[in-house]
Amino acid sequence: MSPLIQGALTIFVGVGGCVAYFWASNVVLDKVLFPARGPNAGRNINRANLIRPWLFLLPALLALGLYLVYPVFGSFSRSLYNRTGAEFIGFGNYRIMLGDPEFRTALTNNLLWVLIVPAASTFFGLLIAQLTDRLRWGTVAKSIIFMPMAISFVGAALIWKFVYANNPDIGLINAVLVVFGAEASIDVLQIPFWNNLFLMVILIWIQTGFAMVILSAALRGVPEETIEAAILDGAGPARVFFSIKVPQIMPTIVVVWTTITILVLKVFDIVYTMTGGNFGTQILPSYMMSYMFRDDGRATAVAFVIMLIVLPVMVWNIRQARKEM
Amino acid sequence: MKKALLCCVASCALWPAIANADGHLPFAPGEGAFSWDSYTAFAEATDLTGQVLTISGPWTGAEKDKFEVVLAYFEAATGAQVQYSGSDSFEQDIVISARSGSAPNLAVFPQPGLAADLASQGLIAPLPQETADWVAQNYAAGQSWVDLATYPGADGAQGFYGMFYRVDLKSLVWYSPDAFDEAGYDLPETMEDLLALTDQIAADGGTPWCIGLGSGAATGWPATDWVEDIMLRINAPEDYDAWVRNEIGFDDPKVIEAIEKFGVFARNDAFVNGGVSAVANTDFRDSPSGLFAIPPQCYMHRQASFIPAFFPDGTTMGQDVDFFYFPAFADKDLGKPVLGAGTLFSVTDPSEAATAMLDFLKLPVAHETWMAQGGFLTAHAGVNPMTYIDDSSRAQGEILRNATTFRFDASDLMPGEIGAGAFWTGMVDYVTGTDAKTVAEGIQARWDDLK
Amino acid sequence: MTGIAGQKSALSWVVNITVLALVVLWLIPTIGLLVSSFRDRDAISASAWWTAPLSVEQNFRVRAPAAETLIIDGGFEAAIGGYEITGNIADLIAAETGQTGPVTITAFGATARAPVVAQPGDVLNLSRDRTLSITADGDYRFFAPAEITRDPSLYFAMEIPPSFDLDNYREILRSDGMDIAFINTLTVTIPATVIPILIAAFAAYALAWMDFRGRGVLIAVVVGLLVVPLQLALVPMLSFHNTIGIGQSFLGIWLAHTGFGLPLAIYLLRNYMVGLPRDIIESARVDGATDFQVFTKIILPLSFPALASFAIFQFLWVWNDLLVAKVFLPASSESWVMTVKIADDLLGSRGGDWGILAAAAFTSIAVPLLVFFTLQRYLVRGLLAGSVK
Repeated sequence: MSPLIQGALTIFVGVGGCVAYFWASNVVLDKVLFPARGPNAGRNINRANLIRPWLFLLPALLALGLYLVYPVFGSFSRSLYNRTGAEFIGFGNYRIMLGDPEFRTALTNNLLWVLIVPAASTFFGLLIAQLTDRLRWGTVAKSIIFMPMAISFVGAALIWKFVYANNPDIGLINAVLVVFGAEASIDVLQIPFWNNLFLMVILIWIQTGFAMVILSAALRGVPEETIEAAILDGAGPARVFFSIKVPQIMPTIVVVWTTITILVLKVFDIVYTMTGGNFGTQILPSYMMSYMFRDDGRATAVAFVIMLIVLPVMVWNIRQARKEM
Repeated sequence: MKKALLCCVASCALWPAIANADGHLPFAPGEGAFSWDSYTAFAEATDLTGQVLTISGPWTGAEKDKFEVVLAYFEAATGAQVQYSGSDSFEQDIVISARSGSAPNLAVFPQPGLAADLASQGLIAPLPQETADWVAQNYAAGQSWVDLATYPGADGAQGFYGMFYRVDLKSLVWYSPDAFDEAGYDLPETMEDLLALTDQIAADGGTPWCIGLGSGAATGWPATDWVEDIMLRINAPEDYDAWVRNEIGFDDPKVIEAIEKFGVFARNDAFVNGGVSAVANTDFRDSPSGLFAIPPQCYMHRQASFIPAFFPDGTTMGQDVDFFYFPAFADKDLGKPVLGAGTLFSVTDPSEAATAMLDFLKLPVAHETWMAQGGFLTAHAGVNPMTYIDDSSRAQGEILRNATTFRFDASDLMPGEIGAGAFWTGMVDYVTGTDAKTVAEGIQARWDDLK
Repeated sequence: MTGIAGQKSALSWVVNITVLALVVLWLIPTIGLLVSSFRDRDAISASAWWTAPLSVEQNFRVRAPAAETLIIDGGFEAAIGGYEITGNIADLIAAETGQTGPVTITAFGATARAPVVAQPGDVLNLSRDRTLSITADGDYRFFAPAEITRDPSLYFAMEIPPSFDLDNYREILRSDGMDIAFINTLTVTIPATVIPILIAAFAAYALAWMDFRGRGVLIAVVVGLLVVPLQLALVPMLSFHNTIGIGQSFLGIWLAHTGFGLPLAIYLLRNYMVGLPRDIIESARVDGATDFQVFTKIILPLSFPALASFAIFQFLWVWNDLLVAKVFLPASSESWVMTVKIADDLLGSRGGDWGILAAAAFTSIAVPLLVFFTLQRYLVRGLLAGSVK
């Protein structure tokens, strides 16, 4: 069956199935199991209401449990075995990894990525959100800044190859350098240490749009009275921004920051496509890719290390969520 | 007599049928220097109408188009339908699909090491002994082609797992005859001459070499070819074999010497187009273009026989570009060693059509139809060399046949994580400044981890 | 701030200029790629994209046919007798490449190492008493005192006018299987966007408006799962799919994307639903509506901005995804999505052709951009997430 027809069928079946499930389960609950009639009406309604949330949640819990919770434990257990999964080697994979210089490079680089990219994206996002706030052409500007998010990571890598190319006729950076009198063209992706920053620029370029959109919405939500009160007190625009607006949207800033952090740990395409992990630019996700399906023990061990790095963020997020309760 | 006449009538009657069955046959059966007799016999004996054969391999773009011409002949002969899909990341895709049960019927492995890996996991079906015998008898240096496809299976027993179809010659240096003529350079016959020529071109103000290692996730592999070629020219073939099996380690002084000799060419800013920093990042498909620039950006490019597919459009072989054999050291007395590689057809999902395809590949015509399109070399001893598209390919075929020592690309034979991983990245590190000893020790450490 | 007299104009100038600078900075890389997608490979290597509208001078070589040598006698008119070949460069180009049309030579030479040393009209003296001259119109004369045995090479420079055409796009769109890849991408993306929304909407409503024990824990779990890297799930989930028999297939990738997209969906939708006016829901309940009816008749319509904004994120994410597609879809070319086709097929065979790569990148951007621009006004509304208090 052609995938197109299969797809259309899936949408019907999937959507219809979901709706049917919810509707049918509610009907069963309300009419069959705990009918709101008769002597036990009151107790039945209460029982129905007790079960109902779980009916609503069931598909989601199944999917989440299977595709996200199970892999966490499944991966950890897989990482305790050797490359073909036949032999239990305990923490052998982790020990070898820690001794691998490439892993250590990837780890340090990743920490750099995690520190710099979310901070820069959030900063630029906030800046642009504030500046375009009352601008007449603000929507156009925001759309242009958001546009890189629509581009796949491979496409973004291609775009930036045109900027970083080691050839003044193709690469923008080298062309600018030549204009300023440089003699030979430089391959910026081979400069030790700084090449990481050049790669990070690509992700910042993409993610700023995301930060900007969310922070822009948050800024709009700041109550007018607080701003006007500050102006009446004689505060200038900068003061208003830093003392009134920023503190009030701080929760959103933090949410944006953590979301981008999570993304930074997932993205491997940029490094994989631009340098293949060479020249000291390796990061954990693309380091994992080079082991994927060849040595699954090692690959899952790396994945688990990524998970560990992200754990503080997860714990913090959960704490915040519970505080809101 | 009557029988012979009958056969002729039958075959003759079949030719138009075959030609008309599928309009995509560029070489009309019955014409030209091709070996049609065995083809018609095969067509008569095989009927797979309605069956579908899936093949996946590494050939994309122009190479894929040429392979599909060969497949058209198979389809015309048997009535089966063939679906070929080529991918740049074939090595990764095949592992995933084999393990997921969605492997194609046939897989074309560019690296025997990978095939050995999958064979040991039981994901490839072994071929019958008679196929092995046939290869031993019908391929030049047939037994080595059999040995290269013999690996231990899941049960530990040695089995014959694939048939080599296309061969690449690697010990070639491409150059522009015009540039050499105008500058008055002679083709070097010995490695000493080549080194002297390199010095001279640099002294004359030109840049001798174009070297590019870039290849996406596979960046670094062209350098492994350099090192292997040099390895064959400074050490005995037995040392090369021991290196492939890791009986001598990567950090053995012989290997380090080979790496450093490569560095003589690649780590000298005056010798390489774009300087040393361009070597690691220039895509291998882009780097020969320096030969064709006016004024030339380089004079020589060491690369395998498949590189003409990436020359600029309109380049005439023999006139705009030509090749010479990557020479051996005159004073080492190791003959004229030749490095090559090849692709291996293996059965990943047995079917009647898959077996028929392998039988088809035994026919000379299956090789000749690609030879006539260019960019194809084979070890099949029964093909007609007149079907090569030009003299240049014929000359390459000659080199292949007359090699005193022939060795298969080492990185394709090593385990996937080394030959398609650590060796590549190690060479990139070497070219960007790490010293040969550190690089070699790193690769060896990774190999030790595998054991 | 607008009420402060005098400060507005100065400040707004600074703001306008800063924003303009940032926008231009953001746009430049993409424009570079866009311009290059209309040029061909040689043009891209010869000149940069910001000089693309200008004519570029390129060097060429043609071979003069030695077969057309004429013998000229010595005598008092010609200084020495010998052999000459004359003709016009345009004819030679037409013979070699089939391109016709007049040429304008800006410089010429006789060796590849010095291809443009002479001005048009000059007579270049070569070794062994040979000479070469080429006029600006392309008329050439090659003279040698000894017999000419090999086709002499003529080197010259010509200005190539800028040419922009859709050839690259044509090649991509007509590329074998691009239409299949496009349909495959649609087939993967639409269900993978619609189904998570549906499942998440119900779950979000339960977590937002239904009171039950364990709600807090579940919310915390969802928030926690936002963080799990999807690489962790690839190997175990593929093995799981293999075990239950769906292997690599479209069904597998729909399920996978649903699973991966649910945490963000539930998080966003719940945040929005919590901000909905309580009274409407309460009054509906008082009127006797079941939770199911409240959900379908009130919550769902009101949550439309949030649904749309998540739809955008999920659509973009799935459309541009490469990794999940490579793992969960079959590797054969008829199941490829566009990202896989571009990365594995086009990039592989055309690694050096920047024009094709550029066109490929833009082809894959077209649909996501369309989706984004049509739905973008919901993006902000959907993410306001209850801050309209």
